[in-house]
Amino acid sequence: MNAKTVRIVAAAAVLVVAIVLLIVLKKDDGGEDKPSDAGKFPTINVNKAGEPVSGIVDLTYNKGDQIQFKVHSEVAGEVHVHGYDLMKDVAAGGTITYDFPATIEGVFEAEMEDQKEQIIQLTVQP
Amino acid sequence: MSWIGSLPFAHALVARQDLPIPAWLFAWGASLVLIVSFFALSAAWRKPRFEREEWRPVGAGISRVLLSRATQVTLGLLGTLLLGVAIYSGLRGTEAPDRNFALTFLFVTTWLGFPFFSALLGDIFRPVNPWRALGRAAGAGFRAIAGQDSGHLSYPEALGRWPAAIGLMAVVWLEVVYGSSGGVAVGLDPHAAAVAAIVYSAYTLAMMGLFGVEKWCQQGEVFSVYFGMFSRLGYFGVRAGKLGRRRPLSATTSWATIPGSAAVVIASIATTSFDGAQEGAFKSAIEKVFNWFVDAGFGLTSSLRLTDTVFMAACFAGVALVYLLGVRGMRSVHGAPSLAKLRVGFAHTLIPIALAYLVAHYFSLFLFQEQAQFTYLLSDPLGTGSTDLFGTASHGIDFNVVSSNTIWYVQVGALVVGHVLGLTLAHDRALAYWPDYRDASRSQYWMLAVMVAFTCFGLYLLSAGNG
Repeated sequence: MNAKTVRIVAAAAVLVVAIVLLIVLKKDDGGEDKPSDAGKFPTINVNKAGEPVSGIVDLTYNKGDQIQFKVHSEVAGEVHVHGYDLMKDVAAGGTITYDFPATIEGVFEAEMEDQKEQIIQLTVQP
Repeated sequence: MSWIGSLPFAHALVARQDLPIPAWLFAWGASLVLIVSFFALSAAWRKPRFEREEWRPVGAGISRVLLSRATQVTLGLLGTLLLGVAIYSGLRGTEAPDRNFALTFLFVTTWLGFPFFSALLGDIFRPVNPWRALGRAAGAGFRAIAGQDSGHLSYPEALGRWPAAIGLMAVVWLEVVYGSSGGVAVGLDPHAAAVAAIVYSAYTLAMMGLFGVEKWCQQGEVFSVYFGMFSRLGYFGVRAGKLGRRRPLSATTSWATIPGSAAVVIASIATTSFDGAQEGAFKSAIEKVFNWFVDAGFGLTSSLRLTDTVFMAACFAGVALVYLLGVRGMRSVHGAPSLAKLRVGFAHTLIPIALAYLVAHYFSLFLFQEQAQFTYLLSDPLGTGSTDLFGTASHGIDFNVVSSNTIWYVQVGALVVGHVLGLTLAHDRALAYWPDYRDASRSQYWMLAVMVAFTCFGLYLLSAGNG
């Protein structure tokens, strides 16, 4: 490489790094974690068809948090949290409570197993 | 109203999906790609280095053992046995895709495992290819009875590798379009996978009978062509019945001379892109088209399959278009060879990109699902809970073997490395095609743009989630 090319490459590299820093700093100061509301369990309502009444619910936690939610269902079935592989039966008109630690990172589904309907999209950040 | 909410999209084979790469990593990855590319523009070498394989044999003893008839027969039997187990499990086993040997074996262990390991080692599928083994056994039987070789039709050379390219699209379509839109929250069901394997086996054996085993493996048999493409990156190769080492990457340079090869590598990038984008980057666009089909009077399942098919075809067209634009650009540089020669001549430079896409999108799935493959799926292939062949039927998948951070770095690392290897091959090929190295370098601005486009699109797919 001749000197001119080296200068161009160096300038380009500096420019790129500057842009990256700008993006990174901008993204970070928003603050990424919202503290989870301890004691207040979100409730997912499920209708007779096994569908979540207000659409698939997004729940996001950080690793180490306690994952806590309730499912109230108009239909009998089994609530299955994939990945963590937890299962609980819910009676028609009944409510179940899940309360377990977020030990696995990733995106997981919870579904009404018998109706094959996804009710929760569970995200665990590192 | 949106109909999409009423149709489950999930692949039940995957109990865990990757987190999208965070914005800061996306930014670093993209900048790394640009910095690497600036250096590539001023790449120093002026003589092609990869056009020759520099093949040299390994020890004669090792070569004799590995390529002996006994080894070939053993490996052929093993491949055939495993295909048989997969088909039997699919037909007789549980309908739960994650508990049935068939789906993980066909769509994870082989479909992803062979590309990953072939890219390091060379063509490891060929010796275990069950159809090749069956075809050769049938040929040997024919010779023993008739006392002569069976005659074959001559393969229409213009068809080239197109049957394999179309077959590749069909395999992915079966899993991610047909399978995941069946109206149940699972991918392809094991029974359907087994039926597909039987149909494919019948078709392959018939084609081998028509055109000859080796000819069909070289050009038409989807798995041989697809895995063979990645094996060209690998370190070992067989020549004239001897095993040898070669310069890594170098065997790719002679791969694309058969017509339709470009379509194979483009199909690979396109199908991986589609699978990565369907629940992330393309999700809202897919919903729009889907609703349009529903409003036009199609049923929900048909609408979803139609929509996904349209998007998969669009991915193929998009990837092909980017590549062809690059080729057309190169044609405009002083001293350029013909368009046809350029189109064929640079197709192999996309092989590292195709591999990088596979690693980026499926590395974690492979790592997790192989734990199932080698524990409970092996002990209880039917998934009925009634057998425990190796005492591992009750094992589970440990999703904590790698952290999300590790997965992110592997994903971004794969794309950056694939980018560098693609640029290397393209620069090298340009040196072979342009008499003047300065013209060669200038032509590579175009391929650089192509590679940057693919790599940054790959990063974007990862950041948009559900890769």
